[in-house]
Amino acid sequence: MIRNRILSAVALTAGGVLMATGLSSCAAEAPADGPATITVLAHQQVRADAIKAEIPAFEAAMAKQGQKITVKLETDILTDAQFSTKITQQYNAGTAPDVVDMNSAGMSGYAGAGYLLPLDDYLAKWPGWESFFPITKAAAKAADGKTYALPHEMGVQSLFYRKDVLTKLGIDTSQPKTWDELIGRLQKISAATGGPAITLPAGTAWGGGSWAEGFGNIVAGTDGKFFDESTGKWDVKNEGVAASFDLFAKLTQDKLLPVQDLQNPNPWIATKYKGFVDGSIPVAGQGSWGWKYDWGPSGSAPIEDLTSKVSTWNFPALDASGSPYVTTAPGFSWAVTAKTKYADASVKFIQWMSSDEALANQLVAVGAVSPRSGLDSVAPYSNEPQLLEAEAQLTKAVTVPYADGVDQISMAVQKATEDILNGASGSEATSTFVKQATDLLGPTKVN
Amino acid sequence: MSTNSAGITLAGRLPRHKLKNRRNARLLLLMLGPSALLIGVFVVAPVIYAFYLSLTNTTLLGFEARNPKFIGLDNFKYLLGNGDFLSSLGKTGIFIALSAIIGQTALGMISALLLKNKWMRAKGIFGAAIVMPMVVPEVVASLAWASMLYSGPEGTVNMITHLFGMGAVAWLQQYALISIIVINIWRGIAFAMIMFQAALEDVPDELIEAARIDGASALQIFRVVTLPLIRGPVFLYLLLTAITTAGIFGLVYFLTQGGPGGDTQLVALFIFDRAFQFSQIGLGSAASVIMLVIVLILGLTYVRVAKVEV
Repeated sequence: MIRNRILSAVALTAGGVLMATGLSSCAAEAPADGPATITVLAHQQVRADAIKAEIPAFEAAMAKQGQKITVKLETDILTDAQFSTKITQQYNAGTAPDVVDMNSAGMSGYAGAGYLLPLDDYLAKWPGWESFFPITKAAAKAADGKTYALPHEMGVQSLFYRKDVLTKLGIDTSQPKTWDELIGRLQKISAATGGPAITLPAGTAWGGGSWAEGFGNIVAGTDGKFFDESTGKWDVKNEGVAASFDLFAKLTQDKLLPVQDLQNPNPWIATKYKGFVDGSIPVAGQGSWGWKYDWGPSGSAPIEDLTSKVSTWNFPALDASGSPYVTTAPGFSWAVTAKTKYADASVKFIQWMSSDEALANQLVAVGAVSPRSGLDSVAPYSNEPQLLEAEAQLTKAVTVPYADGVDQISMAVQKATEDILNGASGSEATSTFVKQATDLLGPTKVN
Repeated sequence: MSTNSAGITLAGRLPRHKLKNRRNARLLLLMLGPSALLIGVFVVAPVIYAFYLSLTNTTLLGFEARNPKFIGLDNFKYLLGNGDFLSSLGKTGIFIALSAIIGQTALGMISALLLKNKWMRAKGIFGAAIVMPMVVPEVVASLAWASMLYSGPEGTVNMITHLFGMGAVAWLQQYALISIIVINIWRGIAFAMIMFQAALEDVPDELIEAARIDGASALQIFRVVTLPLIRGPVFLYLLLTAITTAGIFGLVYFLTQGGPGGDTQLVALFIFDRAFQFSQIGLGSAASVIMLVIVLILGLTYVRVAKVEV
């Protein structure tokens, strides 16, 4: 009898705990102006440091407005690929932080899956949104026409070269008009150094960078029909795609790319952080963040006297009929988790982080281009001529497609370029790409 | 509680043996219940869920993620016609055969026999050197080997080969599969050695002595006397090592991430790529189910062939 009572008591307690847990997990959203503690996640140290520096000012500003918002910064240092794997699981399990600072390349996948809060209503009421460049706004839109992320930086990508090394080798440093012209110079460099002359992200080891910082930049300079916005389909058999793979194959066959280093885990270390820094690989495909994040005085692999040793070329055209170009894409964006209890507080935070001084500080810390107008007179951004010059190029830059399905396109590109690094021809890589992309996206999303 | 002469309890009106059985059943439930619950929650339920997922197109990213559909056996059909998956199965087979079944077993047996010998000196140092790789965490072991096999002239192995006039070799690119096979052998010898040492303890010394007196060579003694007597533990080891090696992930992921060009993409890495990198949970689950079936067949075959109780 006593035992039965004890059992009943245990069962009741357990039931109570379960009910309490259940109720707490489906608690209603907190009041908009009540106290809130929001969690912000960053996975790169330099970005985390930049965010951390702004938090006290944000909390003070909110307190002045009469709302207590506490920001808890979570720093989880991971590569983009590791971060993507981890945050996907967290989103799926409903345990993601309220605000995530993420590479915009992954935004469409998360938005599509319903993990992110649509920001359209907030942005429509926010005067600050007006100042964002049209190219930024367009890039931030998901396939369903909604905006799920607030870009806080733009990246302009081009070819960085070591002018000190090239000058010493007697190589022409003027803008090459076509890839044939550039390859001629690269062959001269390779003959002089006995090693590869250019690094472009390719293969599976570089992860998403093989698309976003490698192949995507080349294919973006072709006919611009790789992704058809009207049908939402990827034209995987597009001539520009085949021509871009041919270029990678040519660079590999001519031993101009560091094939082995590109196949190592963390391939950027041997190529960008070692080869480019010591001048043995004097040309690199790179975004504007190279000025700070990679090679700046506090960057991952500083180059002393950077601006006198390094300069940029636009990407050359694939044939004589084209013109050299730079590409642009949003760098990192703020995303608010759909299941957050503190949606209003989270949005206030990301809007505040996009205000003049806070944004200028972050942009300079990572070496990114402003996603909006009005920052060219705000220090410290205004003191960075390379970033201002890159911002001026935004209007004429070519955009790399970031539509729904870009994750799968990126994976197919990684596989196809890996084949090239292993000796496949351009046409073989194109076949691999078409098969992989069709497998991953499904036949309804490809032409 | 009192009982009558027929063994019936006056209180419960139950025969004594039935009461005892009931008590035993309760005790059994109490003792096995927690383990059964844990196994049910953490092993059986995930397997059932993985099987369910394998019949759907569940993905974690993109608009399809919002509405996963039941697609029957499509994932299995796709995988069994997919060159990458079949290739990863083949590589896993080679990896198991060369590193676990041949390498670890042979070297583990040699080590155990050496340690059993009376004339062997410095047994402690020898045993510790063999066991060390097993106790070192996987990440540490991987990083140590990554450093040793570094492709530049600063790599330890390249420094050694340089003494013999050889140039630097990119071991993890040019000989990636062989490298991970060697590393896995290095890590697994200890377990084999411990298993075989225990088995060798049960071999009566008199039998060995008798065979020796009859003029049998060391190899003949091992083949005709020792090996048949330790057949059971050897087959059990082969079963265990084949199963654990089939699931190896960390060692290969840290060293090569499945590269270069998929040369070291074992099934575990293929599953990880599909399920977590490509977020195709349905397809990754299907690959896991296929692997589970293969491992089960492997295990049952071992048990049947060896006629051992596991």
